[in-house]
Amino acid sequence: MGEFKVHRVRFFDYMPSAIRAMVFSTRTERLALARADGALEIFNFSDNYFQEKVLPGHDGRAVEALCWVGPRLFSAGLNGEITEYDLENLRPRYTVEAYGGPIWTISVNSQGTLLAVGCEDGTVKMFEVLKERIQFQRNLDRQKGRIISLSWHPSGTLIAAGMMDMIRIFDAETGRATHRLLVDRGAGASKSKEVVVWSIAFLSDHTIISSDSAGKVQIWDGLNGTLIRTHLITKWDVLALSVSQDESSLVAGTSEGTVVQFQFISSTVDRLDKDWVRTRTFKNHSHDVRALAHTETAVVSGGMDTQLVVRPLLDKVEKNTRESAMRKVSFPHRSLVCCAKKAGLLLFQFPDHLELWRLGESDGYGKLGGSLPVKRGPEKLIQLKRKGEDHICCSALSPCGGWLAYSTVTSFRLYRLQNGSISICKVSKLPKDLLPAHQLCFSTNSSKLFASSSNSSVVVVALNELECKYLGTLKAKYGCRQPVHQLSASDNGKWLATANTDCEVHVYNLDKLKLHCTVPVYGSCPTAMAIHPTTSNLVVVHADQQIFEYSLVKKEYTEWSRRLQKQGLHSMWLERDTPITHVTFNPKNPAHIIVHDMFMFCIIDKSLPLPEAKNVLYNQMALRSLPEPDRVLHSHGFKICKDFQHLLCVSLLEDHSLVVVERPLLDIVSQLPAPVRQKKFAT
Amino acid sequence: MQGGGRVRSRSLSVTMRRSAMTLQNNMAKNQRGEAAPSSRMTGRERQMGGFSLLLESSDDEGPEEVTFEDSKADARRSMKRALDTARREKELLKEKRRKRQELFQEQKKRKLLSAEVLEEIDSTKQEQSHVKAAEEEAEPEEVEGRKRNWKQNAARNLKGNYTVTTVKQSTLASSQLKAAEDFLHSRMYGPGSRRTTSNEMLSLENKMGKNKSAAVQFVKKNWACQKKAKAEKLKKTWIHMQQIPSS
Repeated sequence: MGEFKVHRVRFFDYMPSAIRAMVFSTRTERLALARADGALEIFNFSDNYFQEKVLPGHDGRAVEALCWVGPRLFSAGLNGEITEYDLENLRPRYTVEAYGGPIWTISVNSQGTLLAVGCEDGTVKMFEVLKERIQFQRNLDRQKGRIISLSWHPSGTLIAAGMMDMIRIFDAETGRATHRLLVDRGAGASKSKEVVVWSIAFLSDHTIISSDSAGKVQIWDGLNGTLIRTHLITKWDVLALSVSQDESSLVAGTSEGTVVQFQFISSTVDRLDKDWVRTRTFKNHSHDVRALAHTETAVVSGGMDTQLVVRPLLDKVEKNTRESAMRKVSFPHRSLVCCAKKAGLLLFQFPDHLELWRLGESDGYGKLGGSLPVKRGPEKLIQLKRKGEDHICCSALSPCGGWLAYSTVTSFRLYRLQNGSISICKVSKLPKDLLPAHQLCFSTNSSKLFASSSNSSVVVVALNELECKYLGTLKAKYGCRQPVHQLSASDNGKWLATANTDCEVHVYNLDKLKLHCTVPVYGSCPTAMAIHPTTSNLVVVHADQQIFEYSLVKKEYTEWSRRLQKQGLHSMWLERDTPITHVTFNPKNPAHIIVHDMFMFCIIDKSLPLPEAKNVLYNQMALRSLPEPDRVLHSHGFKICKDFQHLLCVSLLEDHSLVVVERPLLDIVSQLPAPVRQKKFAT
Repeated sequence: MQGGGRVRSRSLSVTMRRSAMTLQNNMAKNQRGEAAPSSRMTGRERQMGGFSLLLESSDDEGPEEVTFEDSKADARRSMKRALDTARREKELLKEKRRKRQELFQEQKKRKLLSAEVLEEIDSTKQEQSHVKAAEEEAEPEEVEGRKRNWKQNAARNLKGNYTVTTVKQSTLASSQLKAAEDFLHSRMYGPGSRRTTSNEMLSLENKMGKNKSAAVQFVKKNWACQKKAKAEKLKKTWIHMQQIPSS
């Protein structure tokens, strides 16, 4: 297999942002997630929880709540604006100022016609949902305190609003507040602080369920305005609530990191006296849980520890199957690191700046597994801060290290690096068609830049010494509207492969600037792809961990790929829960494919036999203990190494050394905000 | 009090004899009890020595003869002395207080800047405030140009090149946003929120987990650098101190 010198890179201070709100759409099986820095992410729950789309954030867009209205996504934030997003072009479509101060919550009625927002000044504002926009309709009765949470009754006639110290029920038609439900303050020291009703749910039998900052989940009778039951579930705040579609199950998220489930069941066999009973407690987070979504089969939670956790409920899915496993999404499903293979440079993408580093050097020879002495350490060459308030959407570095490009939703910038990448100068007079770019890619000889644009098209520009000339636009067939999230250019400069979130993979001929072929559509979205330098085979890895190899010259799947599909991938490979984010090749051995996900990197050797179902997949340690001749008998084509964790990027440089960018999760946890103080026995 | 018991018993006999003394002063009364033995002590130690005998025989013998003037003079002297000491003490206290006050004044003076620097700052501040006021006037004028009287502006923008810039429209919304974020932050992390640090949480996990290990700042090399440096320094000084007496 070979020995590699490995550059272990741990100086990428990647810090994800806390999850602030989430909402699930049952119709489209998509989860929309809002982070504290204003970024939005869309996860496809029917495709192995793949992070399909990422909309970059914006300074000052402090999103507090999200709402799906059919296929449309709305958000409301503390900047007082309601924003609708264009999910095909990954940017905000328009914003509407609500003129009520910071907006704390947004909610749509079950008919999808009216949008209600709760504002800081105590008003609940109603907006009509029209075809291309929303329009202000009226205000409900203004209240004295701020409106923190809202919930429509399924009939659309009543709205329950959670405020400070109380809950108000409004009649949606007249706008009058009909009932006032007073919420008890906490005991002891918290008696002097107002209690905040963080979250509220209005069920169809007129039961209101509220969660507040005193740690209680209370069940009220909405018709009479009386309290039915109080459940004290924590000493800290209960920040989020979510009710399942059939209203039989409810989950509440607390500041301790626990998610408590309540179910509407009867204590005896007969179904007459059903009540909300506390059933399960999940402790999957170390910090506050601020957002919850209850799907049909799982509970999705996210909070200040930045991880998205999907916990399938065991009474809805079969035990001990892949569907019943808990899933944690910690890292983004796309690469934030760009490696310049010829120059030995790394480009790190942060939301507000870019960092360019040169890798260190080491002379010595060591034995397997040992660390080599570092002759010259890594150095940060450039830190480039973005201009404007939009966060960086995508970035790229040319393989020779001479060009750097990044794009936000409103601007595109290209820089020329000289003097060994120390001096940088901006290239002005860019072609107009370069906005907006969702993905960027340089050609291997650094003469062309590819930028993906709207309607799955790709703009090609030629790069000369200090200027940039528009060459053409590669258009996909008519009707492709989804954004392109994967771009890959071949080493010989002849082919360009693109993949969009509709699972369509197109290959273009760069000499003629025309579409060459379309790979047959596979049901799962591609997560990484690359074109082999010598054989011109396109290797595509999908979100369900399937691997395909397609020959661009012959326009058909290769023989190895057919063999792999016939035998099927090993079950341990298919059960991995993080997607492959990078595919690369080994120049010395054309049969090698190097892939990696968050926990491992794997060298697939096409010349070796494929692993059968009864073989052990992770057999590297076992093979090392065997004597030489026996190893050949037992080895198979998937060589997996788990020595480095947690991986953000694995790449192979021209001098045959491996670059491994790690970001241990412990380093991220150590920089998170303060968790609650839990008094444990014997500490 | 020297010979306290004795003095009291003696003072009884003394006051009986000095009933003519009209000194009403409390101090004098107390002092009389003391003064009497002090004036007597000088000359009549012997009598003190044989005091016990005197007591036994005081009933039989006649009282001693002491002239009125003598005792008056004695009393006056003692009173004067007492007053003197009191006055001296008062003066001493005054002195102390005055000195302390001076010291404070001195310190205060040292803290504040010298008068000249203050003057300078004052003058520049005035200039700056003038300039700022002018700028502030200029900005809204630029934005609401039409509303304002152009003649007022004409004097400023009459000749030469001038540029028009837009004011950053961020004041009200951003201050409300900041206030809302502060509210959230104070509810979650403010006083009474009972929070701890990530370090403590991870250290607890280390302690309670399956493979028990030390607190995270000892496990990870690059954590709590300052504390470790301080501990190193302390260790070095302690060793140094230990070596000095032994050497």
